[in-house]
Amino acid sequence: MEETTSYPSIEPSNFDLIVVGTGLPESIIASAASAAGKTVLHLDPNPFYGTHYASLPLNDLVSFLESQSGPQSQPPETSSDHASISLVTRPLYSALEINTYSSEPIDNSRKFNLDLAGPRFFFCSDSIIDLILKTGINQYMEFKSVDASYVSDAEGKLENVPDSRSAIFKHRSLSLSEKNQLMKFFKLVQGHFGNESEEDKIPEQDLESPFVEFLTKMGLSQKLKSIILYAIALANYDQDNLEVCKDIINTKSGINHLALYHSSIGRFPNANGAMIYPIYGQGELPQAFCRRAAVKGCIYVLRMPVVAVLMDKDDGTYKGVKLVSGQELFSPQLIVAPSFTFPSTLGPSPAQVANSCDAKEKVARAICIAKKSLKPEVANCLVFIPPRSLYPEQITSIRVLQLSGNVAVCPSGMFVTYLSAMCGNVEEGKKLINAAINALFSLPTPGNSEKSAADSLSEHIEEKPRLLWNALYIQELTTGSFDSISRTMMPDEHLDYNNLLDATEKLFREIYPNAEFFSVTTLSDENLDDGGSELDP
Amino acid sequence: MASRRRMLLKVIILGDSGVGKTSLMNQYVNRKFSNQYKATIGADFLTKEVQFEDRIFTLQIWDTAGQERFQSLGVAFYRGADCCVLVYDVNVTKSFDNLNNWREEFLIQASPADPENFPFVVLGNKIDVDGGNSRVVSDKKAKAWCSSKGNIPYFETSAKEGFNVEAAFQCIAKNALKHDSEEELYLPDTVDVVGGQQQRSTGCEC
Repeated sequence: MEETTSYPSIEPSNFDLIVVGTGLPESIIASAASAAGKTVLHLDPNPFYGTHYASLPLNDLVSFLESQSGPQSQPPETSSDHASISLVTRPLYSALEINTYSSEPIDNSRKFNLDLAGPRFFFCSDSIIDLILKTGINQYMEFKSVDASYVSDAEGKLENVPDSRSAIFKHRSLSLSEKNQLMKFFKLVQGHFGNESEEDKIPEQDLESPFVEFLTKMGLSQKLKSIILYAIALANYDQDNLEVCKDIINTKSGINHLALYHSSIGRFPNANGAMIYPIYGQGELPQAFCRRAAVKGCIYVLRMPVVAVLMDKDDGTYKGVKLVSGQELFSPQLIVAPSFTFPSTLGPSPAQVANSCDAKEKVARAICIAKKSLKPEVANCLVFIPPRSLYPEQITSIRVLQLSGNVAVCPSGMFVTYLSAMCGNVEEGKKLINAAINALFSLPTPGNSEKSAADSLSEHIEEKPRLLWNALYIQELTTGSFDSISRTMMPDEHLDYNNLLDATEKLFREIYPNAEFFSVTTLSDENLDDGGSELDP
Repeated sequence: MASRRRMLLKVIILGDSGVGKTSLMNQYVNRKFSNQYKATIGADFLTKEVQFEDRIFTLQIWDTAGQERFQSLGVAFYRGADCCVLVYDVNVTKSFDNLNNWREEFLIQASPADPENFPFVVLGNKIDVDGGNSRVVSDKKAKAWCSSKGNIPYFETSAKEGFNVEAAFQCIAKNALKHDSEEELYLPDTVDVVGGQQQRSTGCEC
C-alpha cells in the first residue's frame, strides 16, 4: 500500500501542462505557459526550488550532489487503466570530491547560498535581463555589480582585463603600442555596429573567418588576442589550435560578444561594469519565474516525487503521471527535468526521451571557500585562465567567479569562488580544476591545525587566500528534447544564460506553436490590484 | 544617501489557505472586499506609502500567490522580510493550530539575525462570520499563544467589514520599521535595473 497520509491530494486532476522539476528552463516554461492562459501543475521532488539551477546552504548542496551522483531505482509502478513506466533519475554529476580544511564553513552552513551551476553571471545587456524586466520579476530580485575582471597566469598573478577606454588607459602592463592597437580595434568594432557608411562595416568574408585570424590580421599582440578571446568573447576552447578546438569562434560571433560587453557597460547607471550578479545567488532566478507563474495561476507542490508516467494501454501515448501519493494526474503535455529518464525495459518508451541525445563533453565545476579575496580590496570579480596558461595540454579556458558576503552568498568576511572548465572526461576535468585551484589558492598542509603560529606567519608572507573548504564535481551536459514528454537541459558550459534561454524559448514554441512567449498583453494586467496603492501627494 | 532597501519595508502574510490573507491586504491598501472566494490567483504584492514622523516609507506587502496551499513557498519569499504577519480564521481551529508551523517555517527559511526578537503580528480574521456564533478559537486562547511566543501583538479583524484592519497594519508597519532600523546595513546600493530602462510606476523613489 502507498502511504497517502503524508502527501496532500491535488485538485483538479487534469491540467494543460505538468512540469516536473523547478530548474530554470522548467520554471521559465511554467511561467510562460501560465501567462498564456494554460493550466499548469509544477511539481518538484525536492524541498527547495531550482533543481540543478538552485542555490543552497552548504550542507544541502553536498546532499543534493551526493543524491544526484548515483542511479536511484524505484519499484515498478502499476496502474489499473494505463500502462505505467517508472520514472527514474539518472546521475548527472560524478567524481564528487569534498575537502574540508576548516569546520568554519560547515558550522555556518545556512549562511551560504551556493550555486550548483556556478560560475554564472549576467551581462547587463543580456537577453535574460530583458526577459527579467519584461516579465516584471525584477521586483523579486536585486543585483550587485561584479567589480572587476582579470586574466590569471600559472602563478595566480592577476591582470586587469582592459575592457573599456578608461581601463585601457589605466592598464599597467600593456605597452603603449598595445594600448593603441586595442583602442583602434574597439573603434573598428564600434564603427561596424554604428549607423555609419558601408565602408565602416567589417567585410563579409572576415565575419565568417575564425575570430583569432581576424585579430591577427588587425595586428593585435598575442597577449591582447588572448584577453579578447577568453575574457571578452568568453571562448571555451583554445582558438590557436584549430585541430583540437571543438568550438571555433568566428569574427561575427566574436564582435557580437564585444558589442554585448560594451553595451552592458553603462546600461544601468549605478552598475560598476558590464556584469551583475543576483543577491542570494543564481537560484533566485528560477524562484522568481515560479512566483511569476504562481501569480498567473500555476499550482506549486514541492516535496512531491513523481513515480511513474502513465501511457495509453493501446497506443502507448503519454496520458499523465502517478505521484508518490498514489494519485494519478493527467495532461496532454509533460515536461521533466534533465535527470529523469525511463528504463527502456519497462514497456514502450517515447523515442525522443531516450538517453542518447547528450554531448560527450562535460563541465568540471568547483566551489572554493576562503577568508581572503583573490585580489585585495575587490569583493566580486571574474578571473579567466586562458588555455595553455597552466600547462601545455590545457585546451580549455578556466573561468572563475569570486563572490563576497555583499551578495549574501556567504557570511561576511568569507569569499565563495566558483570555477568551471569544459573537459572531455573526468580525469581531464579534475586536472584542470585542481591546477587552477593550486594557482589561485594556498592549500593547508594536511595534519596541521588551522591556526598555529607558523601558519599565521606563512599567511602573512603567502599572499594567496587559504582554502577552507572546497567541492569539485563533473557535470554532464544534456540538451533538451521535445515530444508529448519533453525534457529540459542541464546548465550549459557558458557563463551566461543566452543559449539556455534560446533553447527554452524554442522548446516552449514547439509545445505551444500558437502561444506567445510572454506576450506583452498578458503581462500588462499584472499590477491590476496595485491601482489604488499610491497615495496622492 | 538612503538606499532603496531602507526606504522599502517588506511585509509577508502567512497562514492557511482561505483565512483571508489576500482580503486583508486588499482591504488595507484598496479598501475593497470581495465575497467571492477564489484561491489566490493574480495577487503578487501591494504597496502602500506610510509616514512616520517626517519620513515616508513604502510598505511592500507580499501575498503568498497561492504557493502556501501545498507548503511550497520558496526561501526567496521569506527572505529579507521586515515583519511577518500570521493570519488564522477564528472559525477554524486547524488554521489556529497551524500558526506554530508557519512561525517555525518562517524562522527556518528567513533565518533572521535575531529570531527571538523578530517582529511577528498575529491576526484573528473573520470575526464577522455568523455574528461571531461560529467562532471556535477564543480571544483568550489566541492571546495566550501570542504571549508564549514573546508577546506577539494580536489583533482581531474582519477584512469584510474593514474592522480593525487599519489599526493592525499600523502596528505591522511600525514594527517593520523598527526592525529595519535595527538591522545593520547588510546589502547597500543594489544595481537599479529599472532606472536604466523604464520608469516604474510604483514603489520607486528614483
